[in-house]
Amino acid sequence: MEKNRREESSGGARTEKRCLPLAQSVRHGSKAVTRHRKPMHILKQKLLAVTEYIPPKPSAAPGAYPSQTKRMEQESGLVRFLKKKVETTFEECKMLVVVQNNATNAEDMLLLRHRLHKHDIAIKFFPNQVMRSYLPSSQYRNMLPLFIGQTVMFVSKEPKVKEMLRVLRSSPQMILLGGCIENTMLSREGILNYSRLPSITTVQGELVGGLTLMTSQTVSMLQRHPAHLSALLQQYIKQNQPGGTPESTAPETTPKTEGAAV
Amino acid sequence: MAASKGAVVLKTVKKIVVKFCPFESSVRSTRDFLVLVGSEKARATNMNCEVITEVKHDRSEPVIDITFIDGEQLVMNGSNLTTQEMLSALQTRCVAKDPQAKAGGKK
Repeated sequence: MEKNRREESSGGARTEKRCLPLAQSVRHGSKAVTRHRKPMHILKQKLLAVTEYIPPKPSAAPGAYPSQTKRMEQESGLVRFLKKKVETTFEECKMLVVVQNNATNAEDMLLLRHRLHKHDIAIKFFPNQVMRSYLPSSQYRNMLPLFIGQTVMFVSKEPKVKEMLRVLRSSPQMILLGGCIENTMLSREGILNYSRLPSITTVQGELVGGLTLMTSQTVSMLQRHPAHLSALLQQYIKQNQPGGTPESTAPETTPKTEGAAV
Repeated sequence: MAASKGAVVLKTVKKIVVKFCPFESSVRSTRDFLVLVGSEKARATNMNCEVITEVKHDRSEPVIDITFIDGEQLVMNGSNLTTQEMLSALQTRCVAKDPQAKAGGKK
């Protein structure tokens, strides 16, 4: 408005109806409408940047990209060979134990190998990738979480757990994680318990003894009377030694009946 | 894996006990930590430090229990930590406890 552009007017106020104030401060400087492009105030810039419209991106057409499931790596020949080896190992060996090794040096490893070889236990290294690709398809899929990090497998045809534990105790760096012995998955405690089991002959003997206990008790109960009788008669014979022979024949028949009963 | 700050120095550590259940899925970082701590280099920095491993089967979370020489204990639950985090936690405490030896060595 032109009236606003007037400078500070000293002097009297106008006596018109619309009277302006005595002193007005006027801002010179920038005009709103300029002939060149005026740079935007920073606040306005910020506001516009924040409130920009972002149109939604159209997703790719269904047939545009090749489907991800087709991308399967070709198994290299080495992996297939190792897989076959793993399979044969699993089928042959009754005892498989997984052990983690914390950086055993070469000589310790050699000593360990030597000691285990005496008991026909082999140490196998298989890469974890191979194990992970083989295990889920076999019956041992519960062993999968064991194969993380540096693992070594001890395999053997005969489950010789006690000797293996003894050897492992000598090397502190090998940590027993678990294993599969005779198609039973065992944890570390399971393996320790397994080692404490008595041998088969002992167990069989115990079983047989337990079964025959009852029958032997019955037999002895049945034989109590004849045994008592024969003992009495023998004592009678001893007392009447110079006596007649009919007493001596009686105890002979009773042992024969005992033999028949047994 | 152990790229940060080079080797693990265990001079101020008295005992490390690592307990885990290998059939859990969250034990990977703990096992890797164990490998690093139990390696030859780490053990060579302090021959008196014992590294004890307990393998359990009770679905418990992996726990690392470190006892320092001055009696302080650091207990870490490894199920949600990465190996690097555990390692850096251990190393900051080691350095804090034994600063003069480390600072002298570095300078």
